[in-house]
Amino acid sequence: MRRILSSVRDGRGFDIVLVGVPFAFLFALAGLPLIYNILMSFQEVDMFSLGSVIRPFVGVDNYVALFRQPETWPILTNTLIFVVGSIAGQFVIGFGLALFFWTNFPGASWLRGLFLVSWVMPGLVVGAIWNWILSGDFGVLNFFLRESGLITANIFWRSDPSFSLWAVVIANIWLGTSFNMILLSVGLSAIPGDLYEAADMDGANAWQRFWTITLPMMRSTIGAIIALGLIFTLQQFDLFAAITDGGPNNSSNVAQYWAWDLSFRQYDFGRGATISVIMTVFVMFAAAVYVRSTRHEVRG
Amino acid sequence: MSETARNRLMLAIALIMAAIYLFPLYWMYVTSLKSGSEMFANPPSFWPSSAQWQTFAFVWESRNMGRYLWNSTVIAFGSVALIALLGTGCAYVLARYRNVWVDIGLFLILMLQVLPASLMITPIFVGFTQVGLLDYPRFAVILAIAAKSMPFFVVLVRATFMAVPMELEEAALVDGNSRVGAFYKIVLPLARNGILVSAILIFMQAFGEFVYSKSMIQDVSLQPASVGLNSFMGPNTSEWNNIMAYATMYVTPILAIFVLLQRRIVSGLTSGALK
Repeated sequence: MRRILSSVRDGRGFDIVLVGVPFAFLFALAGLPLIYNILMSFQEVDMFSLGSVIRPFVGVDNYVALFRQPETWPILTNTLIFVVGSIAGQFVIGFGLALFFWTNFPGASWLRGLFLVSWVMPGLVVGAIWNWILSGDFGVLNFFLRESGLITANIFWRSDPSFSLWAVVIANIWLGTSFNMILLSVGLSAIPGDLYEAADMDGANAWQRFWTITLPMMRSTIGAIIALGLIFTLQQFDLFAAITDGGPNNSSNVAQYWAWDLSFRQYDFGRGATISVIMTVFVMFAAAVYVRSTRHEVRG
Repeated sequence: MSETARNRLMLAIALIMAAIYLFPLYWMYVTSLKSGSEMFANPPSFWPSSAQWQTFAFVWESRNMGRYLWNSTVIAFGSVALIALLGTGCAYVLARYRNVWVDIGLFLILMLQVLPASLMITPIFVGFTQVGLLDYPRFAVILAIAAKSMPFFVVLVRATFMAVPMELEEAALVDGNSRVGAFYKIVLPLARNGILVSAILIFMQAFGEFVYSKSMIQDVSLQPASVGLNSFMGPNTSEWNNIMAYATMYVTPILAIFVLLQRRIVSGLTSGALK
């Protein structure tokens, strides 16, 4: 006993305690739920069987039933549109801003940091603000679009099924652009300047420099950011809760919101767990890509 | 074009872009000061004709915001305390050694970082119901947030520990300190700033947390401000000036902290997320 104590105070035991306790905690609160989730996706779980671990085992019924539901494919398609639309928008605007601020004028880094307020705000507040900006009759976005002649009649962003998903995409692009920009700026500033000097001497113009130096040098950064974007957009929940609530008629519903909706509004925990398992596999895949593209830096 | 002229031009363009980007934030503040009729004016006014400051007091009273914000603060502080207590040591060990076990640990940490809360809530909720944790809903939310955000904290703080030269710790050990002593007297003080910045980032996240609180806290008197805002915004609401006043009172403290500590937060964030 004394040997263990002294090892904890002054030896290997110190490291093991410091790293063991958090990992035990994470295992209990993240690892076990993951396993439990898989178990529940093979069970029938409702309000009455909530309290017991042994529930009717239904095999892959939940999965089969899930893909028979008429709303499943539209919702999965929505998820894909949401992810691709959000990442594309965040990345392109973020890259543009990062390139602009890279020119390094006085005040650039402070102003660049200010953009990040969109990212530190609670998601629900961002959702509330965009809900108001996007509102049909009195929304300020419709006003701008009308004034600039882009539309003649108001777009009912939240209640028109063909726009409701895009309403959330717009808000999500706003929310995530700044984070993309900050990380891309870090990648840009890591490119050695003499590469550009050499290109200058060879007579390369700005366009050629961008395609032959900037983009190739940024490859691992871009990979990491796209993977991070995938992870963040698949985590996005608050904006749906605050702007469209998945509606109207599931037109803006996505898998992660639907999983919660099934569990906590329709009390079908088994099916909620089923979607969670499917989506978790996707997220894990994105995470593996992210870890791979940052591996050498992480080890650094 | 001379250097200064170019700089001024760039700065002007940057300011315009920042203004466009931050317009939603401006719109929140302006709307919160408008009266009920001015809010629906067409064309909209971009400056309140007579600022309605009493909206804030009215919303604070009628929505019981003090209680909501107090609950948010309790949850955020609880999560940060738990995360800092557990995560700091973990980050230190992962930064100090370099072997295959550390690689595996880091891999697990990074994988756990990405699990969406809205997917994890189903098993967490059912599991917590079974062990009776939902009788202490705020504590349950703190536990869930800690499990969700600790990996991020560990990644950020680990980057800080990597920057602390190992020689300093070794010198302290040679001087007769125990490992515990060297950790508390030498390593922790040197990494203090990084830990603090990461803790603030986690605090801001936890202060706005929504999924776990919404799902696990049924009792209105224990709900945080995010859930309060959600129930304030019914599907057909029209009191946008009140909602924006609520949002203003909710985010302004966070924004103030962010603007004050902006440089440190940004550098702490970038050192952890990509490196």
